[in-house]
Formats: sequence, C-alpha cells, structure tokens
Amino acid sequence: MSSIAFAWRGLARQPARALLGIAGIVAVGALLFDMLLLSRGLLLSFRDLLRETGFDVRVTARPDPISAGPQIAGVASLLDALRALPEVRGAVPVRFGKVEASSPADRVHGAFLVGSEAADRTWTLLEGPGLLEGNAAVLVNRNLASRLRLTPGSRIRLRGISSRGVEAIPETVFRVAGIVSSPFDSADALTAITTLAGFRRACGETRGDVADLVLVASTPDSGAAAAVAAIRRVRPDLNAYSNDQMLERFERTDFAYFRQISRLLSTITLSFAFLLVATLLTVSVNQRFAELAALRALGFARSRVVGILLCESLLLVGIGAALSLPAGALLANRLDTILRSMPGLPERLHFFVFEPRSVAMHLALLASTGLLAALYPAYLAFRLPIAATLRRETVS
Amino acid sequence: MSRIPRIGRRVALAALLLAATVSSPQRARAAVTSDPQPILVSRQLAEAARLSAGEIVTLSADPKGAGGRTFRVVGIYEPTPDPMRLTARRLEARLHLPDLLSIVADPSDPLSADSVSSINVALRDPGDADRFLRDLAARMPGLYAGKTHDSRNGSGPFVAIERFHLAISLVTVLGSTAFLLALMVIRADERRETVGILRLLGFSRRRVLSEVLLEGLFIAVSGAVFGVLFAVATEGAVNRLFQWRYDTALVFVRVTPAIAARCVAVAAPLGVLAGVLASWTVLRSDIVALLRR
Repeated sequence: MSSIAFAWRGLARQPARALLGIAGIVAVGALLFDMLLLSRGLLLSFRDLLRETGFDVRVTARPDPISAGPQIAGVASLLDALRALPEVRGAVPVRFGKVEASSPADRVHGAFLVGSEAADRTWTLLEGPGLLEGNAAVLVNRNLASRLRLTPGSRIRLRGISSRGVEAIPETVFRVAGIVSSPFDSADALTAITTLAGFRRACGETRGDVADLVLVASTPDSGAAAAVAAIRRVRPDLNAYSNDQMLERFERTDFAYFRQISRLLSTITLSFAFLLVATLLTVSVNQRFAELAALRALGFARSRVVGILLCESLLLVGIGAALSLPAGALLANRLDTILRSMPGLPERLHFFVFEPRSVAMHLALLASTGLLAALYPAYLAFRLPIAATLRRETVS
Repeated sequence: MSRIPRIGRRVALAALLLAATVSSPQRARAAVTSDPQPILVSRQLAEAARLSAGEIVTLSADPKGAGGRTFRVVGIYEPTPDPMRLTARRLEARLHLPDLLSIVADPSDPLSADSVSSINVALRDPGDADRFLRDLAARMPGLYAGKTHDSRNGSGPFVAIERFHLAISLVTVLGSTAFLLALMVIRADERRETVGILRLLGFSRRRVLSEVLLEGLFIAVSGAVFGVLFAVATEGAVNRLFQWRYDTALVFVRVTPAIAARCVAVAAPLGVLAGVLASWTVLRSDIVALLRR
C-alpha cells in the first residue's frame, strides 16, 4: 500500500477530526486566496479601465497626472504637433467642469461636465443616436437621465459653476443626443458629455484654446513609451504619462494600502494554517505512537513513516485548498461589494480580480505551509524508539 | 547676505494648503524683502526642502517661480493626520490669509483677492447646525454648506472599510471555530475512559456536562484574552510600520475596551458551544460503552 493510501486511511479513521481540520483550512485558505486577489486586484482592474478608453497616453500641464492644476494653453498648435508625430495615431483635448443641470422634472447641482471632441469615444452608448455635433448636443449618463427624466431628444438646461466664486453664468439649453456609460463614473455620478464648443457655451467661456487634458493614442508599431518620449521632445514644457506610468504611480500611492493589508493578512492566515495543521498532526502522532511503533516493527522504514505523515498533511491541506478556491471566490465577491460601496470610486473598478497566478501562488503557499507544519510531527515519528514504545503501550 | 533657499519649481501655491509634490529644493539667491512675513511649514516639507525655523523662503504661484514673495519660517508643525489624504505627501505651509491671497490672486480677476476656498464656522450651539444650514441655503443659494461630522451618513469610505474588516473577522472566527472544534474532539476522544470512570464513581451526566462547559469557557476566554493582549502588544508595531510607510501620525490600529469586550463576548459562547458539541457523544454514551476498549 502506498504512503498516500496509508495517509488516507489514517484520516478516514478519524472523520470528525479530519473534516474539522479541512474546514479550518477551507476558511483560512479562502481568506488567503482573497488576499492574493486583493494584492493586485485594483491595479489590474484600473489597467483594464484605462485600456478601455482606447488612449494610452495622457498629456497635462501639471506634474502630477492625478491632481488638479493649470490648464494647457495653445491646444490647437499642440494638437497639430502631436498629430504630426509618427508615434501618435490620434489626440483629443478634454475639458472638465461642474454644472447645474435642470429639466422640467428636477434640478441638480454639481453634475460633472466633460467637453471633448467627437473622436473621443471613451464612453459606451446605451440609448439614442449618440451623435455629438455642434455646440447644442449633450450625452448624459444613466444616473443623470434617471434623475432628470431624460430620454434621447429631451431638452436639458446647463449652467456652468465657476470655481472662482459666484458668477452669473447664463443657463443654456442642450438636446440630449444619447444616454451613455463612462468607465470612470462612480455609482452615483451625474455626468454629461458634450463637445468643446458645447462646454464653452455651457460654462460661459470665451477662451477656446485651452484644455485640462489631452488624450493620446499611440500607433501599435511604436507603443506608448515611444509616444511619451516623442511628446516630451516636442513639448518639454508639458507632462506626458503612459498608462503604465499612471498605474505605477497609483501602485506606489493610492493602491499601496490594500496591497499592504493583503500582505499582512496573508501572513496571518498562513501562520494560522501552519498552527492548525501542525497541532492536529502533532496530537494525532502522539495518539498513534503504538501504531507507528508497530509499523516500524513490521519493517516500515523511518522514511516511509515520515512519508505517511507528510502525505497526511498534504491531503488535509490539499483537500482544504481545493475547496477553499470556490469558497474564496464567493467571499471575494462579497468583500468586493463591500469595498466598492466606498463613495467616489468608478463603478466598474474591482478590488478582487482573478488571475491564474493567484491560484498557483495560493496552492504553492498552502502546500509549503502543510509541509512545514508536518516537520515536527514527522520528527517525532522519526525519533520514535520502537521497543520502548511498544512496551509502554503494552504495560499501560 | 545669507543663502536663501527657494522651493523647487514643482511647488504650486495651491499645494500650500493641500498635499503637493515637491522636487528636490533648489537653493538660489533671491531678494529679501524687509520684514518678511512669518509662515509655518509642515514637518514633511521641512524635511524635503531641508528647512529650519528662521530661514527665509520664497513662495510663488508660478511653476517657474515668477512673482514670488519671501517669507520667514517661524515654526515647523505636524499636520493633522487626515485618513482621506493618506497617500498624499503633506508638503504644506500655513500663511496668513492676506499673504496667501497676495500670491494667488489673479490680477485680471477683481474677485480673486476677495475669494476663499471655504469658511469654517463654529456655532455657539452645535445643536443649531441644521437650522443654520437651512438659513444659509435660503440666504445664499448656490453656496454649499455641510456639517463636518454627519453621524447619519452611513456611506463613507470608513464605513466600507469597517464592514470589510468585520467580514474578514467573521471568516477568521469561522476558521478558528473549526480549529477549536477539532482540538476539542481530540480532547473528548482522549478522555472517554476518564469520563467513564467518573460516571462509575457516581458523577452525573449533568456534572460532567458542567465540567465540559466550564472547561470550554475557560479555554475560550483565556484564548480571547491572550489574543487581545497579543493585539495590544503588536498594535504599536503595526502602527509604527504604517506610520513610517505613509509618513503620517495617523493611528491605524487601536484596541479599545469595547473591541476587547466584543472579542471576549464572541469567543466565550463559541468556546462553550465547541466544548459541548465535541463532547456530545461522550456525554450521551453509557458507562459500559465509555469503558469498553
């Protein structure tokens, strides 16, 4: 009989103990799996959102791509320069602002207004023709449409909210050209998208040659890094960032907290799994000294006895690890829902993202823990004196 | 003339009251105005720009440093920890409002010298907050005013993080309970003969049950108290780690009496339950079955 078959019989003889041990491994294994998903989940999810926009470089006038800052002036000449670069496939200027939006149904203060060119298709059309033309058409997201009871073709009034103080910006009327979904909208975001001319009209602006951001798409042959280098050569006064650089920045700052929490909790769960398996196996070995001594007396080598114990540990951990994957997936779903309830986060951002390497790492970590946990009980079995043990068991 | 350090070009004046990024400081000579106005700088800014009290600095709203004014650093302060700005580098300075406005005001905008970002209001009676907000909204439409603390708001980021940690705690408790049950099953199995002898000596099932209950309670409470003490002993290390990582004075982990009481309150009944469940077959078995080998 092989060592694994012996180990299986050993566990099957004490089903309650084995099942409870496996249940404990399932719980900690599920937690470990979720922490491995969390360690890179935000990064992977955010990367997917950035890729979905179709643009892989961002150009700003501020040194930090995230924070607010000065606008880019001379956008027309900048766009000409960018579009002339062989590394650049397309470039689109973007404006951001806040507006008061109203319809006969309701009034909303502080809706987010985005002004861009028609080539900017960072949104997904849900209803309506979605054609942004001239300066009187606007796209709205589902929340704003629902709040103001808008449908494609409805009228919406927009009044820009100046960031510099109370200014009497006139209200302007727009036609709803469609209802869209934007990848970076939070669950409660109220967003409207219009052309640059429409943005200036809504916000009462006369300066037409500025932008808060220019989105750039690189050519497939050159890639984002080459596009960034080329942009920095032609306009060293501006700051260009590829998606990868943005992700690296987020990983160093905003996402670092969750990565560290996941490492801390992973360490704790592995320690717990180690304690669980080591304690169960040690107690089991202590109770089976006579059995192990008898096996040794029958001719089982020390290595075989140790092998049986290692197999017991691997069986406990292996079965628990396999069952912990679906349990972990369910738990990750629940934890993701909890964390995504934080206000202001993009609705489609996820904290727990599955990738195959997480499964591999999960299984490898648990297997290593199981083997380590079995070392002490294996040592006890290895050092077992056969004759003295058999005599003691017979006398007692 | 003493050397006068100048903050690097990446410091935007808007960052004086917000987190900002600062490149390595560039020391350059600049004109010292007579009696430069006093400012305070955050500890982080002082370390990044190698400033100390008494030094003269130039602050400018222009990234290239144009139109700067000189100030004297009269003190270094530790910014109030803000969990909402955990990952931000607190490179800040505090100025008198007129000094700040003189730097950031747009000469082409007549309102800019009379504009502020926000106004903090302290009410004589905090209970009047709602009425005050209503009155303000009626008198100044378009102005946003809110309470600094709204206990009715259950959707903040910290509520989500609290729920997250609670969910993880529950899973940990489940795993711990399985672990405890496994050990209690082993223990009950080992003591079958002992229980049989006690029953033979005249101990009733009720007495044996009470012993099992007390034992489970003792193990659970001892374990919980040990866990709480371990958490108290390690909270300092966890806080120091995160405080070092984020360069903040924020406290991340705090074991309060309420949390300790909650841990013991959850552990105690679980321990008792685990003891009873594990010993159930032993308690239900008759004496002969217990003593039979």
